[in-house]
Amino acid sequence: MTPLEILSATVSGQPSPRVPVFCNLLDQGAKVLKLPPKQYFAKGEYVAEAQLKMLKHYGHDNVWSAHYVGKEAQLLGCKDILFADNGVPNVADFVIKSWDEIATFEIPEDVTQHPHWQSMDDCLKILSSEVGATHPICAYVTASTTLPAILMGMDKWMELVLIGPVDLRDELVRKCSLFVQQQIVAYRAAGANVIIYANPFGSTYFIPKKRIVEWSMPWMQEDLKQGTESIVYYGGMAPINAVTELVIDTLKVNIFYPAPEDDIRESKRFINGTGLTSGVLDDIKMIHWTEQQTRDDVKRIMNLGKAGGHFLFGTGFMPLKIPEKNIIAMLEAAFEYGSYT
Amino acid sequence: MFETYINDYNEAVFEIDKELALEVIETALEEGVTPEQVVFNIIIPSIEVMMAEIVINADTNLAQHFMTAQIAAEVTEQMLAKFESPPEIIGRVIIGTSYGDLHSLGKRIVMGCLKSMMVDVVDLGVNIKAEAFVDAAIAQEAQIIAISSMMVHTATGEEGSLKVRALLKERHLEDKIKLVVGGAPYRFDHELYTKVGADSWAADGVTAAKIIRQLIIDGKN
Repeated sequence: MTPLEILSATVSGQPSPRVPVFCNLLDQGAKVLKLPPKQYFAKGEYVAEAQLKMLKHYGHDNVWSAHYVGKEAQLLGCKDILFADNGVPNVADFVIKSWDEIATFEIPEDVTQHPHWQSMDDCLKILSSEVGATHPICAYVTASTTLPAILMGMDKWMELVLIGPVDLRDELVRKCSLFVQQQIVAYRAAGANVIIYANPFGSTYFIPKKRIVEWSMPWMQEDLKQGTESIVYYGGMAPINAVTELVIDTLKVNIFYPAPEDDIRESKRFINGTGLTSGVLDDIKMIHWTEQQTRDDVKRIMNLGKAGGHFLFGTGFMPLKIPEKNIIAMLEAAFEYGSYT
Repeated sequence: MFETYINDYNEAVFEIDKELALEVIETALEEGVTPEQVVFNIIIPSIEVMMAEIVINADTNLAQHFMTAQIAAEVTEQMLAKFESPPEIIGRVIIGTSYGDLHSLGKRIVMGCLKSMMVDVVDLGVNIKAEAFVDAAIAQEAQIIAISSMMVHTATGEEGSLKVRALLKERHLEDKIKLVVGGAPYRFDHELYTKVGADSWAADGVTAAKIIRQLIIDGKN
């Protein structure tokens, strides 16, 4: 079976030879091509080439069309990204600098015509043609209730959410939701077959469950009103077990990518033999772990989640400092302990 | 006497109801509580209740932490203006985000709590070089340097806490100035703070304030 068939079988509960193995390598691409990050991320061809090289080298199951989270901010008018040789690019220019600017803030009429979309479109075309029939191609979409955080800064957004004018808050989220809907359609059309829908404001780590029910959830329904096919619910590394049943009931999403601190047995109990949940390795620890410690944790995760299927093994967004030997050890262990044969 | 105010105030903060929290303070003042008592007998104990709650109940959330700091800082600022004499400051902290890091939420929560607990806070802002942290700590005679990092590379990078530690060592300041770190990467790897040369760390902004205050008190003793 191809990795895509294994993923599909896992979701539908059909027999498969092993647990799907997702390894999220984004920033490593620039090093693979020996390019400065700014130059690397400027061209979708580079990102696709590096993703394909890493797929061949490591043998995991998925590739990424996503460049960095700040790309969404650029599509919405961000003028400056702070690139770093040793890590994730950072939004350095907030599109919305004061609440007054929310009224005039505009989203693109057609995101696919935006200059910053071009590199992702180029990337997806290559990935789609090379591995679209065999491998999961992941795209990353930030939910409308979280997207303002990269437009105005997390603290300013938190302030508006919690103590700001409700009409202003919802005007901004409404615009963001239209953008999210556009992005999902565009990603699917360009060949992405897994959409990671990231919403820290859909996690009880960020806001109380009552607020999620009353505020986040209706906006998430709006974001996803054109269908939940291939949508993966992700809290942006914040725990999501406490909302999993709510998400299944309300959003009809049944694929989950929890945080490392979410209890895997609980995650499996919540999906109740349908869809898919994931055991996510705390990859920041891999920076200082030995190979054996890495293998042991993969084994632990597989032991907790593998039985009964509907289970995927995954990582966070692998920091660049993780030694190569630990990436190899992790993937070897994932294939070994994730085997059903 | 103050227990009812503390309970009502904290309930409002937990429910993320700023108006109600401010109403509790207003009522207390109307009923004869002095501005000094508002800060020392209601606000500070309320923060301490939240600190204890975080330990007992893992389900407290970032919104509650943010509100704890935000409202406490606002009320304290208003009350300080009405104090009969300036309060005694227990110590001074230099705070900022690490070099290359532009995320300021955690820092803001820490600052709000510290200010209410009578710790003087000097905010250097975001994307701060190691030298700036150390130079400011010397110039301001601070006991603590607090560095917030939301990303792994800014937490572990050579220009961040590691360099601050090296500078403190080079200038023979390790006994005088303690280094505290916080932010998402430390939440995922509880031993990471030792790898970046910090003396202590906290998983959230409210707890960071608690740890910083304790380090200042320990230093005095």
